[in-house]
Amino acid sequence: MKRSFGFWLWRNLLLARGESAYARTRLIRSMILVALVMVPLVLALIFMDGMMRGITDKYILLQDGHVQFYEREPLFDDPNEFASIDERIVSGDYVVAGYGIIYSRENTAEVRVKGVDNSYFNDARKKQLSFAGEPLEKQGNLASVTVSETLAKSLNVSLGDRVAFMVVPDSSTAVVRPVLATITACYESGYHELDSSLIFMNRDDALRYFPKEKNAYTEVLVTKNSVDALGEIIASVKAHLGKTVSHATWDVFNFTVYQNFITSRQVILLVFIMILLVASVYVASIAQELVQDSMQALALYKTLGARNGQLSGAFFSAVMVVTLVGMILGVVAGIGIGTQLGVVLAWLGRSGIAGLQYYLLDFPVVISANDLIFICSSMLVISSITVHMTLRRIRRISPLELLQQD
Amino acid sequence: MTEDLMQFKQVSKTYQSGDTRLLILEDLSFTISRGVSIAVTGKSGSGKSTLLNIAGGLDRPTTGSVTFLGDTLGAMNDRELSEFRNRHIGFVFQSHILLDDFSALENVYIPALIGGSKRKVAEHRAVELLERVGLADRMHHRPQKLSGGERQRVAICRALINDPDLIIADEPTGSLDEESSTGIERLLLELVQEEQKTLLLVTHDTQLARQCSTVYLLHNRTMRELA
Repeated sequence: MKRSFGFWLWRNLLLARGESAYARTRLIRSMILVALVMVPLVLALIFMDGMMRGITDKYILLQDGHVQFYEREPLFDDPNEFASIDERIVSGDYVVAGYGIIYSRENTAEVRVKGVDNSYFNDARKKQLSFAGEPLEKQGNLASVTVSETLAKSLNVSLGDRVAFMVVPDSSTAVVRPVLATITACYESGYHELDSSLIFMNRDDALRYFPKEKNAYTEVLVTKNSVDALGEIIASVKAHLGKTVSHATWDVFNFTVYQNFITSRQVILLVFIMILLVASVYVASIAQELVQDSMQALALYKTLGARNGQLSGAFFSAVMVVTLVGMILGVVAGIGIGTQLGVVLAWLGRSGIAGLQYYLLDFPVVISANDLIFICSSMLVISSITVHMTLRRIRRISPLELLQQD
Repeated sequence: MTEDLMQFKQVSKTYQSGDTRLLILEDLSFTISRGVSIAVTGKSGSGKSTLLNIAGGLDRPTTGSVTFLGDTLGAMNDRELSEFRNRHIGFVFQSHILLDDFSALENVYIPALIGGSKRKVAEHRAVELLERVGLADRMHHRPQKLSGGERQRVAICRALINDPDLIIADEPTGSLDEESSTGIERLLLELVQEEQKTLLLVTHDTQLARQCSTVYLLHNRTMRELA
């Protein structure tokens, strides 16, 4: 019934109709400031989500797989047989892994060795790596190793160089001696923290250094969409095998990394909320300024019969529209800049800054709709509370104030 | 038989100023019948504006009661009082009090919008009123582009737009020169008569007061009718 006045007032507040240039500039400034708050939040969100997902993918694809079945012999002769058990399985590779020390003429490094065969580097893994040379290529009688560019740089070696490799003994009585190995390929994963200590070796060679009783297992990858259904997939594999096989999933053997991600994510979202709280104080100040500038008009509207609810409603929705538009601008700008993060990170990667080894400099831009909705709705909820509290002031404006000015 | 529009029964109003209690109105009782024009005169500070504020539902009496068509204003909550002011009262203030950000036309139709009228309907009625007061060619001008007399005419149109039962005018010619004052006085009384409205007018202007059907003098916090 009385919506027409509210709508009229709301529209005039938003258009700053008839107001000074300052009032119009203020509205635009407010929108821009809200947008400026949102841009870094959206960027941080994209960076955080992309980085975490990228690092998780690296760990899963290169280091541990989604599931490990602990069986000393290959579960199947043909790795493709896994796909026939469950179509959600991408691959199942028989791996021999252990720890060793690698020596070059100038340096030494502790490494994790993965003995794999050629089928290990399937399309999913190749997407995460770039190679120089032929991985796992056998040259003469010496073992061949594939090291990362990072490791090669720290050892100061290159393709075709020889290095000494020694297995880290798993008991004090074991007798070990170093062997020579040839670097037949170098890979680059983009995440130096991981690839600086991970080397690949031909599985047959690895079996000579690491006893399969303790070091062999089958590493299974599943499709991206099936990560949440690992339980079902494990059950179907076990049912197919018809025997008891122990297993572990990626979040268990990377428990610390996984927990760190979750904690970091929660802390970052908490920081976001704190930033939004500060931003909402600013949004409330927009409402306060609008009310302050409209004191005489508000008193007149009240004299002419406008209700507090009509006035507060119009002011509230005008401020929230300013916030919403600013927020949308900020989100769009944030996403726009976020999609270019790769360029910035690649540039940073080339800069050789030491601290960047802990960051993934090549990750897919991931925009989490849920997180965006969470941030935007938090902003709206917090702002609406602060604006609502500010607008209680309208109730205290008395029509008599107008007449006292008369 | 004339209908009683508003009744003041033993209305008193006091204000607290620090430790001092100021008695502004004391035990006022009078009735405003529909269709009459009442002028209230008195010295500055005698409580004329307070009386109008109480009559317009902008202020509440300390004791006593004011009824409008049988409803006690003191028993109304803020929402009901707002509705009462919007539907039944038209205000004309001494210094017009128009919103500078809006045209004369918009200033006139604001009370109609508040009352829930559609904008087109409100605008149509506002145009009619502005034409009647001779502002047809000035309706899209902002108040700062209008003379004092024109602004007061806009304010009178605003007071009439919701077809109120009672027009409350607080020294409507107080800030105008003599020529404009005469025009506004004539216009106000004509419109009130044509629209068959009731007028409660506060004025220092004895000539204007004399044109009303009843004249009260507010003196020493009480009111008496002048012959």
